[in-house]
Amino acid sequence: MRTLLDRFVWPMAVPVGLLVLWEVATRALGIRSIILPPPSEIIEVMVTRYDLILTHLWPSLYLTLTGFALSVVGGVLVAVLITTSPLLRKSLYPTIVVSQVVPKISIAPLFVVWFGTGMTSSLMLAVLVAFFPMTINAAMGFQSVDEDILRMARTYMGSRWQIFWKIQMPHALPFIFSGMKISITLAIIGVIVSEFVASQEGIGYLIKFAGGLLDTPLMMAAITALSLTGLVLYWLIAEAERLTVYWQSTSEFGSGGQV
Amino acid sequence: MPSQPNGRTAAASPAPADPLPAPPGPATGTPLVRLSGVRKVFNQLEAIRNISLDIGDGAFVSLLGPSGCGKSTLLMMIAGLVRPTSGEIRVNGEVVTGPRADVGVVFQSPVLLPWRTVLDNVLFPVELLKLSKAKYRERAMELLAMAKLADFAGALPRELSGGMRQRAAICRALIHNPSTLLMDEPFSALDAITRDDMSVELLRIWQANRKTVVFVTHSIREAAFLSDRVLVMGRRPATLVEDITIDLPRPRHIAMTEEESFNGYVRHLRRSIEASHADAP
Ligand SMILES: Nc1ncnc2c1ncn2[C@@H]1O[C@H](COP(=O)(O)OP(=O)(O)O)[C@@H](O)[C@H]1O
Ligand SMILES: [Mg+2]
Repeated sequence: MRTLLDRFVWPMAVPVGLLVLWEVATRALGIRSIILPPPSEIIEVMVTRYDLILTHLWPSLYLTLTGFALSVVGGVLVAVLITTSPLLRKSLYPTIVVSQVVPKISIAPLFVVWFGTGMTSSLMLAVLVAFFPMTINAAMGFQSVDEDILRMARTYMGSRWQIFWKIQMPHALPFIFSGMKISITLAIIGVIVSEFVASQEGIGYLIKFAGGLLDTPLMMAAITALSLTGLVLYWLIAEAERLTVYWQSTSEFGSGGQV
Repeated sequence: MPSQPNGRTAAASPAPADPLPAPPGPATGTPLVRLSGVRKVFNQLEAIRNISLDIGDGAFVSLLGPSGCGKSTLLMMIAGLVRPTSGEIRVNGEVVTGPRADVGVVFQSPVLLPWRTVLDNVLFPVELLKLSKAKYRERAMELLAMAKLADFAGALPRELSGGMRQRAAICRALIHNPSTLLMDEPFSALDAITRDDMSVELLRIWQANRKTVVFVTHSIREAAFLSDRVLVMGRRPATLVEDITIDLPRPRHIAMTEEESFNGYVRHLRRSIEASHADAP
């Protein structure tokens, strides 16, 4: 019972309260839908126009997941290279770290010039923004193994291969999951921004399109659908982390209820 | 107890039927660890100057000295993890050129792998050495039972107290039945009461399966209580200042630390360390 309270009731109290306040305020103050529709109207649009929203959600979801998968695989591989080769570490790592500062999203229009207005452009932007945090987190995971643990393994003549698979990899898993949580969020942003800039489909396109028609309820329904999708994706990663990284007792996502 | 001369086998071939062989007998005097003219220089700074010593088979020897005097460096050289700048180290008659299967090491922190159960942590060296895990499982369980951890074989390290973790680390260092156990301040992170308990436990484990133990510590009491012999190291560049035989009966009990004979050794060791301080530049 306590678990239920801690896990669901209290975390939901604030958002539900805000929604109620929003509903009451928009009605009481007579705010027009074009400025701010009440939650009930947004939900209504989500139900009645679900096929339109889903039609545009699928391509965005597909691109997000593809970009995310490429970033995770590529990021981990590059992290392994950086970890195993001192030369690559010294030459590549500073560039990767500094590139974090560049607001990569600003390159979106350039990608349209290079790759056109199609899916390639969106995918490239998603990978561009999601790849680096993944790499940096994974590299940090592989490299932050306690020196005494490595010494212990060398005492028993552990090979580099054994040390990597039996020590560095499991040690890096929590870092990799942190990277994945950042990357999934960034991949969504990458895809949406790219769809804002130039695209004929996708939830980003739908948001921009609805904005052009001043159809604020549709726009907010699309934003809500996108947010819910992001939330589910993040939750899936957090769940996978909880199951995989069983030796760590807490996680920042729904950590209540654990002793 | 009947004594057989040096019946030790290499780590790779312990008899599984006799999972806790206790090569009996006190220190026979056969040097198991031999250092000849060992010197270590780090970036032109001499850390260890010309140390020669023999450590007998089955002996419990402590290296005692202030922090930073080079105890860990010396131990890591015996473990084959650090190469001496000059001089030679032999274990079991063979020159040490790298890590060896007949040596076990316990570090200051337990360094257990958090994702492995206690049992799998103890079996970790077996895995790295590519020995058969099935064969060693029974031995692991017996070691854990001896360390009073049998009920925690399936637990994760985070469920254990500091003292329990370090006991698990000792089991891990013994799993492949090494002839030599190297310990680098293994109890220094524990509180004083746990520390006394651990000393008694360690002696019990050592009594049950006699290994040659080289025990690094900066605690005078600990060195005197545990050891057959205490080697006092002076400040950098480290040399051996004194070599004292602790002639107290075994098995030893904490109560003995209140006896005059024990305190005599403690006073003697303290004076010896203070004298080496005074010599420092
Ligand atoms: N890898 C290293 N590089 C340079 N200096 C070192 C290294 N390891 C140890 N030293 C130096 O050697 C001395 C002895 O260190 P250590 O063996 O750790 O001492 P202790 O274990 O007695 O505290 C210290 O002054 C330390 O700074
Ligand atoms: Mg030390």
